[in-house]
Parts: sequence; structure tokens; C-alpha cells
Amino acid sequence: MEHIVFGIGITALAGALATVAGSAEDTESNIGSQGDPNSQVQLAPQMGFLHRIFNKAIAGEPPAYGLWCCLGAGLAWAFMAMQFNAVLAIVLGCVLATFVQGVYATTAYVGRTASLAKFGQPIYVDILKSITTVTMAHAFIAIFCTVTLCHLINTALGHPFPLPLLGLIWGIALGAAGSATGNPYYGKERQYQNQKFGAGVPISASGNIVRYADAGERNSIDNGWFTSKIGGSASGICFGMIVFLELWRTVVFEAINPWYAIIVGVLIILIFTVIDRYIEVWARKTYGPYTAAKEAEA
Amino acid sequence: MSAVAAKPQAGGAINPTAMVVGIILTLIFLAICYYFSPTLGMTALIGVVVGGVLIGFGTHFVPVGGAPAAMGQAPGIATGVAMLAAGAGLAGLFGGAWAAEQGIVIAVITGGIGGGMLMAITCMMVNFIYVFGMGIPSASGKVAKDPITGDTQAEFKSQGTEGHGLPFISFVGGVIGGLLGGAGGTLIYMSLLNLYEAALPGIMNVTAAQVMPIAVSTAGIFAVGLFLVNAVLTAYNITGTIEGPHDPKFKRWPRSIVASACASALCGLVAVLIVVPLPI
Repeated sequence: MEHIVFGIGITALAGALATVAGSAEDTESNIGSQGDPNSQVQLAPQMGFLHRIFNKAIAGEPPAYGLWCCLGAGLAWAFMAMQFNAVLAIVLGCVLATFVQGVYATTAYVGRTASLAKFGQPIYVDILKSITTVTMAHAFIAIFCTVTLCHLINTALGHPFPLPLLGLIWGIALGAAGSATGNPYYGKERQYQNQKFGAGVPISASGNIVRYADAGERNSIDNGWFTSKIGGSASGICFGMIVFLELWRTVVFEAINPWYAIIVGVLIILIFTVIDRYIEVWARKTYGPYTAAKEAEA
Repeated sequence: MSAVAAKPQAGGAINPTAMVVGIILTLIFLAICYYFSPTLGMTALIGVVVGGVLIGFGTHFVPVGGAPAAMGQAPGIATGVAMLAAGAGLAGLFGGAWAAEQGIVIAVITGGIGGGMLMAITCMMVNFIYVFGMGIPSASGKVAKDPITGDTQAEFKSQGTEGHGLPFISFVGGVIGGLLGGAGGTLIYMSLLNLYEAALPGIMNVTAAQVMPIAVSTAGIFAVGLFLVNAVLTAYNITGTIEGPHDPKFKRWPRSIVASACASALCGLVAVLIVVPLPI
């Protein structure tokens, strides 16, 4: 019984770390335009809309975070093998992984923007200096939280995978959850803030992203501030729930009977199915159709 | 026709010659494995091929909208096919590997449920963001009515878009994709783990307990690698975006299954041969 209580405590801590990691990951990717909306940041100058938005998308969020978390976890593992204290080892590993992220962000921004030279898009050195460090700070939080939760899973909960492999797996899952949940909010709600609320962006408006702020030109730190309020929080809740519920059903129920953990997993899927259906029906009833049914079919 | 609605016609065609070549190549790889290791290695390779096929088939169910979905221009989850499938499948592999001591059946089912849970939570949060963050209801661009709920779709598509969000059929497709991907990844891991646990102690002259960390790590790395191989292959088959099982692109799955079987057989053969002494 005691080890189950201990396991629940670790599970709660891992869930909290995952929530922070998810939120930081989405905010970092939005500041760097690394999710799918990067296509619009890249398209805008080609349509004649020059901007000061950072764009470091040369890989999707899941493989990028898989790399950085695996690197952080691998280095932390190596430091621990050299008899470093676990906390110090994780911090050092994550700092080094964050430097790799910084190099990646710098070369990606310069490379992507240089390809737009023929459309007159300049590379802003002040943007490079000010935004890169902000993405690195957010990336450090995301990598540190993910590596720490992997360390807890490995040492306290006894998962058989070594730390670097756990870092790779949960890094990819972190990127998948963060990009799936956070991308639409950044892409539709922030980059196309000039379009109508409550409707998708018409395809004809592609590339016409918002480039001006309250004072002066909009930059990516403004985008991180805006999307952290809903997109970032939702991504954090999403990844936090994934980690917490996966660990919780295993720690509590697998010790009693492995089939209980499976049954609880099925019940969790059914509960989320009901919630999803409720949200879908609620939206249809509350917002109503855009056009009459017959007109839409025609 | 808009850019999103335009579909590559040639991409959907199934080439019988290529399918036959793929099947023959798969059989050749299996025969090579049977020649070198008819029992342990062959069993492991069959597990790897079945797992790879499950991943390839499961990826077709995952509703992925890519960049257009991020602007509410097309339905689906706003990320890449391979990335989302890998995220779900690897989360399943994580759970399945944890349950490895309980036997292959429980481990594979646990892995499937882990993948399904990730997709259920993610799909629910996608609809949450669309509805409560952006005020946009779900609408499919490929069918007039949701095949499960019967909800009409056309009047809920906003002007100038191909639909948005995740209709219920896409949610169900996502969960099925996660289940199959998680189960497939875990099956690959379990097949290779059993092989390495049996073969490595003899090769390295160590006890079974000492070889466990190496066996677990190597099987885990191969499982992750094979997962990415199959997910990326399927992403090429889908060519960009897919709404789920109701999407016309879903019918391309036979081609993907042959490709997944062939690629898994080749990669699995390498994974098997590293522990089988060659008679040279």
C-alpha cells in the first residue's frame, strides 16, 4: 500500500511537470513559429507582406523536441554516471540541450529568411538577438520539466527504459500534444486576428498575416504573450492529462491486476469520447450553422 | 476548385506490379531470416512485420489536417501525419513496455490503450480549442453527413474553407489509430525483446539478468525506429492530410500495408541478424 501512495505522489508531480512542459513548449513553438502556422509566416513575404515574425521551422515540433529532450536526458544520464548529483546532472544536461536549441533556432531563422531575399524580406539582427534567447528560455523550461519527469518515471516508478529513450519518447509525445492543441490558436486566432472571430480563415486570405501591433510592428514575443493565455494553457493541460492518466492507471491498478489498468484505460477513453461529443453538440447548438442547410448543399 | 480541395488523382491509384514486387521482397526477407534463424529469429521477424502493418494501417485512421487545419481552413489535427502517429504510438509503447513482465497479450493491449488514450485526450483538446478558444464548430469537408452521428456538415463549414475541427467520426478514427499504433509498436518491442533476452546471454557470455538493460534498450530503440519508418511511409501514402476513415484517401491502405510489411521485414531482418551468428 505504501508504494502505491508513493507512486501516486510521483504521478501527481510528473503530471504537474508535464503541464508546465506542455505550456512552455507551445509558447516556445509559437514564438519561433515552429508549428504548422510557419507556412503563413513563410508565405507572407511572397504575397508582398514583409514582417518581423521569427520563423525557425525546419523540423516539426515532435522530432525537434524528441531531439532536445533525448539530448538533455542523455547528457543528464552521462553526468549521473560520472557521480554527479541528479539535480545538477539534469540541469547541466538541459542547459547543454538548450544551447543546441539556440544554434538550431539561429541557423533555422537565418536560413529560412535568407530564402525569401528575392521577395525583399530582410533578416533583422535585432530580432535574431532578442527572440532567440526568449525561445531558448522557454525551451529550457520545457526540456527540464520533461527530463525531470522522465527521471522520476525511471528511478521512482521503475520503468525499464533508460533515461535517454524515455526522453526521446516523451519529447515526441510532448511535441505531438503541443502542436496539435496549440497550433490552431496561434495560426487562426493570432496570425489572422484581422479575420472574423468564429470562422475559419478563407483560403483567399492566406499570407495576409497581421504585421502591426498597438505601437509599431508586431514581433514574436507579442505572439508568445497572446497564445500563452489559451493555446499554451490548453497544451499544458493536454500533455499533463496524458502523462498523469497514463501513469495513474498503471501505478494504481496494474499492481492489483493488469486487466484493471486496461479496463480503466478503456473507461478513460470513453469518458473523453463523451466529453468530446458534448463539446461538438454544444457548439452546433450554441453557434448555429453559417448558412441554411439547403443553401449549403447547393 | 480551391487549393485545399484539389486532390492528386494519380496518387490514389494502386499499382499491381509494385504491390507484387513488394510482397515478393517481403517473402525474400522472411526466407533469409528463416535460413539463418528458423525458430527464434523467424518468430521475432513475424512479430515485427505484423506490428509494422498495424502501425501503417492505424496511421490511416488518424485525422491530420496539417497547415490548413492550423488556420481553420480544413478539418483535422493541425500537425503532421507521421508526428502525431509517432506521438500516440510511442506513448503506447511506453505503457506496453512497462507491462512487458505480464506477458505479450497484456503488454500489447496495454500499449494499444496507451496510444488510444493519448489520441482521445488530444482530439478532445483540439475540439476544446476550436470551440471555446476560436468559436468554431466542427465540420467535415469530405462527407455530407457524419457516418456515426448523422450530423449534417455542409452548413457548418465557414465561407471559403473546406471545414474545420474534428467531427465525431474523425475523433473515433483518431482513437482507433492510436490503439492500432500503440499495439503495433508494443508488438515490435516485445518480439525483439524476447529474441534479445534469449540470444544475447550466449553471445556476450553474461547472465540473463546482466543482459536485461541492453536487451530492453536495443529492443526499445528498434521499436521507436520501426515506428518512425512505418509512420513516415504511410504519410507519403496519404500525401499530406486525411480526415479519418471516411476520407476517400483511406482507401489507399492496401498499398501502405504492403510497403509497411516490406520495410518492416527489411528493418526487422537487420534487428534479428545482429544477434544471430552468421555461418561464414
